[in-house]
Amino acid sequence: MINLFLLKYKTAFSTFLKPFAYLSLILSVCFYSIQAQAFPVFAQQAYENPREATGRIVCANCHLAQKPVEIEVPQAVLPDTVFEAVVEVPYDLSLQQVTGNGTKGPLNVGAVVILPEGFTLAPKDRISSELKEKTKGLIITPYNEANPNILVVGPVPGKDHQKLVFPVLSPNPAENKNVHFIKYPVYVGANRGRGQVNPTGEKSNNTVYTSPIDGQIVKLEKSDNVTSFSIKSKTGDIITVKVPFGPDILVKEGQTLVADQQLTNDPNVGGFGQVETEIVLQSPARVKGLIAFFFTVILAQILLVLKKKQFEKVQLAEMNF
Amino acid sequence: MSVLKKPDLTDPKLRAKLAKGMGHNYYGEPAWPNDLLYIFPVVILGTLACVIGLSVLAPSPIGEKADPFATPLEILPEWYFFPTFNLLRVIPNKLLGVLSMAAVPVGLITVPFIESVNKFQNPFRRPVAMTVFVFSVVFAIWLGIGATMPINKALTLGLF
Repeated sequence: MINLFLLKYKTAFSTFLKPFAYLSLILSVCFYSIQAQAFPVFAQQAYENPREATGRIVCANCHLAQKPVEIEVPQAVLPDTVFEAVVEVPYDLSLQQVTGNGTKGPLNVGAVVILPEGFTLAPKDRISSELKEKTKGLIITPYNEANPNILVVGPVPGKDHQKLVFPVLSPNPAENKNVHFIKYPVYVGANRGRGQVNPTGEKSNNTVYTSPIDGQIVKLEKSDNVTSFSIKSKTGDIITVKVPFGPDILVKEGQTLVADQQLTNDPNVGGFGQVETEIVLQSPARVKGLIAFFFTVILAQILLVLKKKQFEKVQLAEMNF
Repeated sequence: MSVLKKPDLTDPKLRAKLAKGMGHNYYGEPAWPNDLLYIFPVVILGTLACVIGLSVLAPSPIGEKADPFATPLEILPEWYFFPTFNLLRVIPNKLLGVLSMAAVPVGLITVPFIESVNKFQNPFRRPVAMTVFVFSVVFAIWLGIGATMPINKALTLGLF
């Protein structure tokens, strides 16, 4: 991604469009900082489909802790109708997490809703004012162009958005031949708090750091943003462990360590959870037919009982039973 | 039930049957045509309406395509295997686990042979059999619920 921007930047220079080049540089820097904020983007860049073949949603690759989430959708929806899917991300609002620069801050939440094929985000002009009020402050986007049925949101401040409301438009089987009037699964993943691993595979500053070897801390050095531990092993090798600011350091200089001993506490208070539910795409004609069928059944049952009562009178009159 | 036939107690055949605890279909409401012709269709139609209503309003879902190379996140058997599945996963020794699963049908096979130890049919006069039955039902439901929970709550259900 960055290389692409650099390439653009170079070509722009070579065509003597310096002002535009600076603009594009600024834009790309802005864009990059947005990406650094918008963590679902990490998944969007790395995975074509956020749900792996095993059923695991890829957010769990970076958000390692497990916490409960809930999803609420209607039991059934009619075709071409706007309805709401509500994802709940409950957590203790008094909790604080470490932020990117190591200070404490409130938690953010985010969610991904994997709807059945054909279901999409409701267009703005179809959303009622009541639903608009509920989705205020949420910028919900499709996961990528290939999957308009997968919606992502976040990160958004968790204290205002323990309930994430997704306005969804159901498809019409009359127009879209790939959808049918059947029951579909809906998969949901939702997260609160920052991840423990960066997309590059490095640990973030929101996780526990341990000693890689048996040894002794010979030097503990704090520079900007990073605490470096120099650990001397029994054979005399010195291994440096760099811990970004955030987790609290539990060890002192000169202390002897065993392998896998915690150097820091685990500052993570958040977690990711995934659930699934089902939704029926219901045909209005079927429901009407069903109601008509129920009425004929009830009528037939009433008539049968009436006929029995009439025949009982005959039996009693003739004393023949 | 306005049409009720009284038992003909002068009939020695009926009296003999009643003495053996049988022959209760010789009196009461006549089966034909009162029950079979009129009430049976009412029940049949009611059942049909329930089944059709459910199949329209809550159709059975189409599962995911099977993929032999992807192990699902949660491995769960059909619901009626939940209790034995839970036994299998909480018992650390797998041989004991498999034996505990086999013990269920083996235990059921012995029932006809030891059932007649007590001659009474009335459940309230079979205290040992009823205690064993009620205990195993509660135990099976408990284990079945536990099977749907993470392994650390498999026995406690997270209650204590």
